Amino acid sequence: MSQKSERRGIHVDQSELLCKKGCGYYGNAAWQGLCSKCWREEYQRARQKQIQEDWALAEKLQREEEAAYASSQGAQSQPSLTPFSKFEEKKTNEKTRKVTTVKKFFSPSSRTAPKKESHEGKTPSPSITRQSSIETDRVSRDFVDFLKNLQKPGREIHKQSRAFIENMANKKDLGADELSECVQDFYQNMSDRLMTHFKGSTERVERVMDQVEKYIMTRLYKNVFCPETTDDEKKDLATQHRIRALHWVTIQMLCVPVDEEIPEVSDNVVKAITDVIEMDSKRVPRDKLACITRCSKHIFTAIKITKNEPASADDFLPTLIYIVLKANPPRLQSNIQYITRFCNPSRLMTGEDGYYFTNLCCAVAFIEKLDAQSLNLSAEDFERYMGEEPRAEPGVPEPGPADGAGARHDRVLEGARGLQSDLIGWQESVEREVREILEKYPLEIRPPASAIDSDNVENDRLPPPLQPQVFAG
Amino acid sequence: MSAHRIDAKVVMLGKESVGKTSLVERFVHHRFLVGPYQNTIGAAFVARQVQVGDSMVTLGIWDTAGSERYEAMSRIYYRGAKAAVVCFDLTDSSSFQRVKFWVKELQNCEEHCKIYLCGTKNDLVEADRNVRQVDYHDVQDFADEIKAQLFETSSKTGFNVDKLFQKMAEDFLNTDFQVIPGEKGVDLGQKKNTYFYSCCSH
Repeated sequence: MSQKSERRGIHVDQSELLCKKGCGYYGNAAWQGLCSKCWREEYQRARQKQIQEDWALAEKLQREEEAAYASSQGAQSQPSLTPFSKFEEKKTNEKTRKVTTVKKFFSPSSRTAPKKESHEGKTPSPSITRQSSIETDRVSRDFVDFLKNLQKPGREIHKQSRAFIENMANKKDLGADELSECVQDFYQNMSDRLMTHFKGSTERVERVMDQVEKYIMTRLYKNVFCPETTDDEKKDLATQHRIRALHWVTIQMLCVPVDEEIPEVSDNVVKAITDVIEMDSKRVPRDKLACITRCSKHIFTAIKITKNEPASADDFLPTLIYIVLKANPPRLQSNIQYITRFCNPSRLMTGEDGYYFTNLCCAVAFIEKLDAQSLNLSAEDFERYMGEEPRAEPGVPEPGPADGAGARHDRVLEGARGLQSDLIGWQESVEREVREILEKYPLEIRPPASAIDSDNVENDRLPPPLQPQVFAG
Repeated sequence: MSAHRIDAKVVMLGKESVGKTSLVERFVHHRFLVGPYQNTIGAAFVARQVQVGDSMVTLGIWDTAGSERYEAMSRIYYRGAKAAVVCFDLTDSSSFQRVKFWVKELQNCEEHCKIYLCGTKNDLVEADRNVRQVDYHDVQDFADEIKAQLFETSSKTGFNVDKLFQKMAEDFLNTDFQVIPGEKGVDLGQKKNTYFYSCCSH
């Protein structure tokens, strides 16, 4: 006790500063009293251990899931000889945990999901996490259900997909392009193998690939959508601001062949806007593409009703641009990049979805580059329109306090003055209230009933009060 | 899903109102309608199978907006295309001037894309020779120079329309399949990817 009180000054023993490992170098509190070298070693060891534990856990989970899968196979149909013998083997391994295994079948990944989250370590908010893990569970369940029909190759596909997801969890630090490459390679390998297995039946391969994409992208979504390594988010904001600044663009300026006076047309326009906004809520690239396709179909319907003939690209593109301007879809650039990076290329390339997606890219490119000429406006008009927005585009001179801006300026000033007087009034009213209350309940201090420590019987056992000490030098 | 597997992507290029959409309509639905259309809601993207000998080729035909205001974006469309039909109106010389722009673009950016020049509205020229503004021999010379094939078509009568797409499918089978046998979705994929990076992150 007395020793401790002696050290109350800024006195620090020289030995305290040294690395706890005793290597002779100085330590640092931030490194838990170790020197940089020892800390790094210690940290690496701990991390290695963590990684190994994670792996063990992942393997265990996979075994469980496989067992669940195998038992579900057994329960569903009596499969052919090979899978059954494997199933027997599994069964003996799992005999002790039979009950939990059966449960597992009903929720194949109820344990995987929380584990994954703890891995990520930066879960945004509990409600979101829970919601997404429910979705993840559902998708995993669907995936297992789907693969059941494929019997033996189904198991193989499941194993591969799981291994890939585990693998990707360790690659979080990679750039977006590398991540994309990994996923695309995986698609490629998987579809090659399926191609051999199904003897070239592209339809079956595609059906399986769609499920594989859904499964792995639902799992990977949080890590690979708008990753921190890219400037996707910055671009999202830029596009959003840009679209907001173009709020004045009308149907006539874009030559959009859509007449919103017709109720049915405006109905389709609203639906198209909803669809393109909805894209952000989907996790699987293919689902996002489907939103774009649905949006496009509504646009075609709107044009068809207006013009009474099927729309060509000359009608479609301007309308899509108009819809994007009106919708200002959230995280538009991130979504486009995500689809580009992680969609199964066979879909993105050539099919109808690919066409509409390309048009969306085109619409965004147009909006970014849009100038007076592309709207058939004079440069002055364009600048005037852009000037209506406080955020002036680079290259466009700051709007003077002329015309509309002057009136707005006055309005803002007036509002500010009103706010000021409100504030002063509020302060006075609060002061008045406080005074009133003080008058109502005057402060009176009653003498204390007794000393606070009167019933402390063992006062004398306490150490003496601390006295200031004088240190020489 | 109703989406067919597409073997070859074909883009339609050409100035507004040269008749790209009509050409596609004629090829896919065998019709040319002036009045209201009934079934299709849009003719911007269509897929059609063409028989070449014993095999089938599915052409995915991409219509593009021809207006000059979208010129800067046209590159986004023809990326990864196996063939391009560059259309011009035989009765409008300005439309042929624009053909040169697209041909140059294609040669610069998409060298593996085969080019087919297509003079449209041949029926108008047949009816009255005086309305012809684009000389056949001039175009033929240009086509030879850029190693493209030339067709003069009429979507109204159907003249040469099937022949154009038939030839395209044959060329595709004869050249492309031998270069990359088997699964070619891959090759396309790679190409498209690099493309999208460049387009969206310019």
